[in-house]
This record gives sequence, structure tokens and C-alpha cells, in this order.
Amino acid sequence: MQNKFRGVMQSPVTPLKDDFSLDLPTFERLLDFHVRAGAPAISWPHHKGESLNLTIDERKQFAEAAVKVVAGRVPVTIHVSALAVEDTMALARHAQDIGADGILAITPYFWTPTLEAIEAYFTRLCTSIDLPVLSYNSPSYLAGVEITGALMAHLIEKLPNFVGVKEASFNSEKFLEISRAALALRPNFAMLTGVEFLLPSVPLGGVGSYSAAGSICPNLCTELFDSCVAGEWPRARELQFKMTRLWHLFKDQYPSSLKGGMVIMGRPVGPTRAPLPTATPERQAYIRAQLGDLGILESEPHGW
Amino acid sequence: MTFEPGLVHTPLTPFSSDRRVDFDVYAKSIDFHVRHGADALAVPMHCGESVSLTDAERRQVITFAVEQAAKRVPVIAHVSDAGTAIAASLAKHAQAAGTAAIVATTPYYWTPPPAMVLEHFCQIGAAVDIPFFVLNAPEDMAGSRINTDFALKLIDKLPNFAGVVDASLDWQFMIELLSDAGRVRPTFSLISGTDLMVSAAAIGAGGQFSALATVAPRLVRGLFDLCRQQKLFEARALQEEIAALRQIVKPGGVAALKTAVRVMGRDFGNPRPPLLPLDAAAEKKLAAEIEALQSLVAEPHGW
Repeated sequence: MQNKFRGVMQSPVTPLKDDFSLDLPTFERLLDFHVRAGAPAISWPHHKGESLNLTIDERKQFAEAAVKVVAGRVPVTIHVSALAVEDTMALARHAQDIGADGILAITPYFWTPTLEAIEAYFTRLCTSIDLPVLSYNSPSYLAGVEITGALMAHLIEKLPNFVGVKEASFNSEKFLEISRAALALRPNFAMLTGVEFLLPSVPLGGVGSYSAAGSICPNLCTELFDSCVAGEWPRARELQFKMTRLWHLFKDQYPSSLKGGMVIMGRPVGPTRAPLPTATPERQAYIRAQLGDLGILESEPHGW
Repeated sequence: MTFEPGLVHTPLTPFSSDRRVDFDVYAKSIDFHVRHGADALAVPMHCGESVSLTDAERRQVITFAVEQAAKRVPVIAHVSDAGTAIAASLAKHAQAAGTAAIVATTPYYWTPPPAMVLEHFCQIGAAVDIPFFVLNAPEDMAGSRINTDFALKLIDKLPNFAGVVDASLDWQFMIELLSDAGRVRPTFSLISGTDLMVSAAAIGAGGQFSALATVAPRLVRGLFDLCRQQKLFEARALQEEIAALRQIVKPGGVAALKTAVRVMGRDFGNPRPPLLPLDAAAEKKLAAEIEALQSLVAEPHGW
């Protein structure tokens, strides 16, 4: 059976009003935009959605809104990673209660947990709910903490609802060590890259990614995925190079620049919460020039 | 200035029991690589214990490799050193000896400012007029690595800077490098510095430096050929076999590689100090793991 988490899945940013409070109407519009623009699944709130700058209550409120607005058109997963693991547990139960299709959780923040502690964490999380659980591996942002291939295999063997990984090392060896361990045990385990690095991952068993730039260029996301799955490598290479230029444009102070770019695409979503900066008019002008240079202004939808 | 080396084997350096370079075995090794799928050779790389050879020995190894290869395949000389003038001098020697290209990584031990690293590479590259490749190997070099901006500066200064041999395995770097450098120097090459070839080939790497070819030349050649034909889905199974071999050997480094190749019937002796050979228990365990690999059944045993 094919895993339902595949393709370039969209994780919306979190729209804010000028006073930095949550902007629910714009969030609803954004969710609808992503679904109409071809997102195969929605997941919120990733770091791109300023997850760690939202209160737990805010996260619950918008999680409910996401499930309600998407209304079964595509699967919705909730990113439950929080500084306190007890909050993560509560967000996971909440996701199940509101009817989400799955959750996503990173290895715990700050404490640089051992492999044993990571195993205990995912075991507790997976056995506390019935929903599918996607793990999130991001060694470069978490001081080298990572899920090894051996640990991934062990978790798959004991947890039936441990169904995939958002793999964000963007490294041939790390991806391959996880993919060959995981896919041997669970052939439909979802090997997903953190952002759209599809060209180097799809040949090794990757089935999709989350998206950095999807609120700017949904068409490019779809074309890149389709060309990789079809094995059209020269075309895929050209699209991947373009996508990577966008990643470099947006990853600086992520997601501030992304929100700045959304203004240019006619989909303004307000400022970014501190400590992250909000894109200045000068930064927006730079982004506009880059998007123009890449042909994005012509090839991608403007407005909602 | 271009040079597409294809599949580059990186031979081990054999030592006799009194720790001298064993040139009789080295000759057999060069012949073995030429007969078993090498498009080119690179000597002496880190797996060939370059850093443990004296300057005179490195010169001798390079000259010997060129003579033994006898134009059957081109030879690339690895000339990395701590001192810029020492590396540049070795590069000159390599060209005079008849190598087709040179390769060098960031200076050993020192952590100079980026402008001096640039100067280091410029002087090495300018010492020759054969193609010059930069080896990006942060795992070997305590995290020292180059980035794309650095490569662009080097392209600007050095006409024979032909490409990067990448062992960082970093997708962001490889894509950005090939995308940006390719725009200013269309002949610029990305070469995989490891046997993890599929992702690099997807990104556009045309060549591969292989340390595992000394153990499993058929597997490595099979993987490389599929990658060159852009049969990347088909390459996955071989890539996984090679990754399994890599994970067995990697923790023990050169000592483990020498043990693995001894199991295959090719004895390179022990590594030179300060590296120690595996202890008896580790050697036995590794030998058992190598013998258990079904993927190695069809590989050549002996010379």
C-alpha cells in the first residue's frame, strides 16, 4: 500500500496581523490556496510556520482551523514539536482529538538526547496516540542530534504507526543510511526530505518532501516532483537548480524572507514574530528582482 | 582546461614489515586497478596514507604510478600539504612526472583566513599548467571545507581550476556549486569524492573517486556505469550494497580498508604509524563481516 504522505507537501506560514496576533481569515485563505494549487498534503506549524514562537493554545487553535478548512480534501498533519516534551504529548493528543491525519515530531530540542532517550521519546509518543507518526531528523540544526539508520530500524520494528521521516540532513550518506534500513523493513515508509531536495533523494527511495517555497511557486514544486518520479533527469536537474536558488534566497532568517516574497506574489501574510526579523522594503525589492530573474513572476500564480 | 577522469581508483600504499613502501606490491596494485575498471588513478590520496609519506616518498610514488600505469590510464597526483610552497613544489614535480591533473585539499593543521586559503590554492594551481581539482573533504579535515563563493573566486583567479572532488556529501553545496560555477565556467566538473555516487550523479557529477574499488572493483564499476547512463533508479540496489560495505570499513579507517582487502587476497601490509593495525578481535570481526557479504562473491580474489 502506498503511503499517503508523498509529493511536495505544503506547510503554510502563519499569517500575523500588524500587532503580531494570529490572523485567522488570512490563514484560512492560505490553506485554501495551497490545496487549490495542488498540495498533496498540508502540515502545520513547521519552523517555517514559526511553531516555537506560538503559544501552545495558539497552536491548538490554528490546528483546528487547518483540519476544518482543508476538510478532508488532502491529509493534514500537525507538527507537535515543542521545547517541553509534555507540551508535545498534549499537542499530539489534541491532533488526534480534532481529526488530523497524522503528526510530525522532531528529536527533542536543547538537551542533545542520547539514542536511548530519542528511542524512549518516540516510543512514548507513538504509543500515546493511534495516528500515523512522522519523525523529523535535522542534525545540522540540533547540534548533531540525529536518528541513525539502526535506531530508525528499531523504531519501525516496534511501532506500527511510525510511518516516515522528514529528513533534513541533505546529505547523501545520512539519507541513504536511513532509507536502506527503513525501506528494507517497511517498504512504504515515507522517506521525505525537509525541503525540496528531490533530485538527490528520489533515486534512493525518496517519495517527496515538505516545501520551503510552495507559497511562492507551487507550480515549480509539482513540476520538479513529477520530473523526478518520471526519471527525466536533465529536466529535473534544471528545476532542482532553480528551486535551490530559491531555497538560498529564503533560508536566510527563515521564514522572514519567505513572508516578504509572499507580499510580492500578492499573498501578504503580515510580519514575522521576534526574535526573527520582518523583511524590510529593501529586502523585498531584492527578492522581487531575484524572483523576476528566475521567471517566477510569470510562471506562478499571483494573488489568492 | 578540462579533464573528465571518469571512475578514478585511489590505490592504497603497501608497506613492508619494516614500514618501507613496498614497490613490488605497489606495481601489482596499479596493474590490478588498471585491469579491474579504473579509468584513471589518483595517488596517494588520504586512503593511500599520503600524509604518512615523506616528501621524497610522495614524489617517488607519483613517478612510480605514472611509469607503472604506462599510459594505460591517466594518473592524478594528490599534492595537499600544510605549507603552500611545499605543495606547489610537489605539484610541479607531478606535472614533470607526467600526471594528467593534480588535486589538493585545504592546508593541514593551520586554520588560515579565507584569503590565505585562496592564496594557497592559487599558488598550487599556478605552479602547473595541467587541470587542478580541489578536494572538499570536511570529515577528513576537521570540518574545514570550501563553499561556492570561494570556488567562484578561485575560478576567477585560476584558469586551470577544473572542478571539485566532493566528499562532503552535502546536497546544498553540490547543487549550488554546479549551478553557479557552471554558469561562469561551463566545463567545470563536480566529481564525487566517495563511493556514494547516486545523489551526486543526479546532481550532475560525471566522475567518482573510489576508495572501495580496491576491495570491490566490479561493484564500483557497475554502480558508476549505471550512474553515467543516468539509470539512477536501477543504480539504487548497487548503491545500497556499496553503502553496506562502506559502513563496515568506515569506523576502522585505513586499517580496516587494509584488512578488508587482505580478506580479498591482496595484502598491503599494515598502515604506517601513527595509525595502528586493527587488533586481533577487531580484525576477526571485520573479516567475518566482509566474508558474509553476498555482494562480494563475484569480486576478484587475489591479484
